[in-house]
Amino acid sequence: MTTHPVRPTLEETPSFLKAEHISVRYGETVALNDVTLHIPTNRVTVLIGPSGCGKSTTLRCINALVKTSSGHIDYGDASIQAMSETDLRRNMGYAIQSVGLMPHLTVEENVDLVPRLLGWKRSERTERVSRLLKLVRLDPQVYRNKYPHELSGGEAQRVGVARALGADPPVLLMDEPFGAVDPLTREQLQDEFIRIQRQLKKTVVFVTHDIDEAVRLADYLVIMKDGMIVQADTPEQILAAPANEFVERFLGPDRSLKRLSLFTADHCCLEQVVSGTGKPSEAQLPRGSNRCYWQVDDDGKPIMGYTWIHNRIIERPITGSTHTVQPYSSMKECMSAILSLGMPATAVVDDDGRLYGEVRFETIQTISLS
Amino acid sequence: MQRFIHPIGDYVGQIESQLNFHRKLAAIVLLVFAASFFLPFFFARENRISAEIPVGISGLPLLPTLLLLIPPTMILLYALVRTPKASERLLSLGAALGLLAPLVVLAYVGPQMVSTIGPFARYSPGSGMYLYMTSVAIVYLMKVRIGIGDYIGLTVALAVVVVLGYRGSFDRLGILLEARNFGTRLSREITAHIRITGISIGISVLVGLPIALATYQSRRIRKLVFPLLNVLQTIPGIALFGLLIAPLAALSQAFPQLREWGIKGIGNTPAIIALSMYAIYPIIRYSFTAISSIDTSVVLAAQGMGMSSGQVWRIVRFPLATPGILHGIRVALVQTIGNATLAKLIGGDGLGVLVFEGLGQASVDMVLLGMLLIIVLTVVADRIFQILITVLTPVSLRRERA
Repeated sequence: MTTHPVRPTLEETPSFLKAEHISVRYGETVALNDVTLHIPTNRVTVLIGPSGCGKSTTLRCINALVKTSSGHIDYGDASIQAMSETDLRRNMGYAIQSVGLMPHLTVEENVDLVPRLLGWKRSERTERVSRLLKLVRLDPQVYRNKYPHELSGGEAQRVGVARALGADPPVLLMDEPFGAVDPLTREQLQDEFIRIQRQLKKTVVFVTHDIDEAVRLADYLVIMKDGMIVQADTPEQILAAPANEFVERFLGPDRSLKRLSLFTADHCCLEQVVSGTGKPSEAQLPRGSNRCYWQVDDDGKPIMGYTWIHNRIIERPITGSTHTVQPYSSMKECMSAILSLGMPATAVVDDDGRLYGEVRFETIQTISLS
Repeated sequence: MQRFIHPIGDYVGQIESQLNFHRKLAAIVLLVFAASFFLPFFFARENRISAEIPVGISGLPLLPTLLLLIPPTMILLYALVRTPKASERLLSLGAALGLLAPLVVLAYVGPQMVSTIGPFARYSPGSGMYLYMTSVAIVYLMKVRIGIGDYIGLTVALAVVVVLGYRGSFDRLGILLEARNFGTRLSREITAHIRITGISIGISVLVGLPIALATYQSRRIRKLVFPLLNVLQTIPGIALFGLLIAPLAALSQAFPQLREWGIKGIGNTPAIIALSMYAIYPIIRYSFTAISSIDTSVVLAAQGMGMSSGQVWRIVRFPLATPGILHGIRVALVQTIGNATLAKLIGGDGLGVLVFEGLGQASVDMVLLGMLLIIVLTVVADRIFQILITVLTPVSLRRERA
């Protein structure tokens, strides 16, 4: 069995954040054992593993909340040990599971904390807070003056992310940031995260114990066990070729289904769809067992799907959000929507719920074979 | 068959049982009222230390007796009436009249009573009247909520007392005579009491807060401080006052300069030192608990955000610990106002002078005056501090205390 630290394979991406042979020991206990990790710039690195594997410790080494016993971490040309801790941390956004919002400060004051510490001008900061709140989809007018206890779990996490992005740091450290919310909210937050990351392209180090979340968000997946790196690679590579039995077990039996999480709907969304405001005539509905017709209302929102099954047109009403997907939804969600709608494809809708395109089952099939 | 409990039926049952509970309370109150009628309602004395002449209800004229009987009658009616609104009104009226009746009776009967005894005669409320007032207090506690009617009742009662006092009806009341005898000395002792308490609390806050921070920061200091505080707390108050006499006396002998500053074996200085030593316990305890009960994730997030340790204290820990620290100071304050009475025993000033001199002279009225003023001081200080705590607690944290 090989448990050697594996060198990252994303060699084409540069890295300005490099952990070289770091170890952390508390007396006799070894929390981290000779970990070498190059964080790819502008990408999402996800650290995952069972509890006690050292993933959170690795993260906290990076912003010096935990001191390394040996080895060194380089930030650009300098070693972080040589930098001032506060300066280092102000350059790294930090979001944690329990959010840790200051209960006595308003949402605005929380998001504003790091810019304030950095001494930004007041006018600049007010504008920054509004922009950040909009970025995480919280209306600044509504949320600015609320206190943390007035927020739902999901809203608090959003504020936590906004706060981490406060001073526009190049690096974002996230320690199970979506760990404390219900599965539905978590999925929404992941969608938001992907959207924001595509926009901002931060260097993110993300810790989670949820393999679905990891596969979905990671550009670079690092699987850890007992303070060591077991396998580090792109999620595609890891799902295709697990390094050993432990990784295989950790990924679970539904690996092919998990692979679907790697792709988002817009990746294979067909924008050319057949649609109209009325019921389709037989001529309007394309023949073929995997062709659909979408009936939309006056706003362009899909309300009914039609398809041929055994020479008969069947119709399916589109009622809930489980029947459609959004451009940032994962392929896995598309699959689920297809199954719940009972159609050979699912409708992709934009933010306003208007028909945007469709994702076909056959496309998904091609992807999972590739 | 499954037994079906209708939710509304259950609710009615709850109200029913609440009503029964209040009936039982009313019965107890009536018993206490009844008992008060068998005890001496007032005392008269020929002079401040002569024997008491008890006056029971039976010794009162008809009209005052009837007046005193009205409030209990109302409570009785309250227990019998079933409409909630009417019964609540009876309770309010009964309470307000219960407060007013004995005071009015005292104002009219008292002066008549003492006029026949002699020029130095005085009168005081007796155990019967105290018991009567106790049942009125229970009535107020029985009330679901203190409404506008109750405040009007209390205000009217207070106004009547002020008017009666202004007309001279209470001139021969024991404790007021004592207060008058003290003259300017009374206000001096009150200020002294406040000053001793204030200085003691000030010292224990200035010393206690840094110690609390140190105990939070270092496990070793914690292991040292808490056992020490526990021992300190077990030394009886009077013993601690006494224990300080010898070392302070020696100190002032050795350095005469100190004596000029008022530091000597007896007087206010040892009292203040002893009181501070007592007050420091709640201050350290409460502050330590307040600081260490702050959510660790909040502190972790603050550090992870790049706050220096000073900033973590200033922006996170102190604001969040403020309510807890203030509670500690409040507890210390209330305790110190009471303990400051003992200062008199080692030659200090304050309201203890009234209590202990009263005891020495066997003047019950004087002791009572001292105690009453201490209670008023304590209640006022406590209220002021509660308001201060509410004001200084961050808006978002007030909810948790409610």
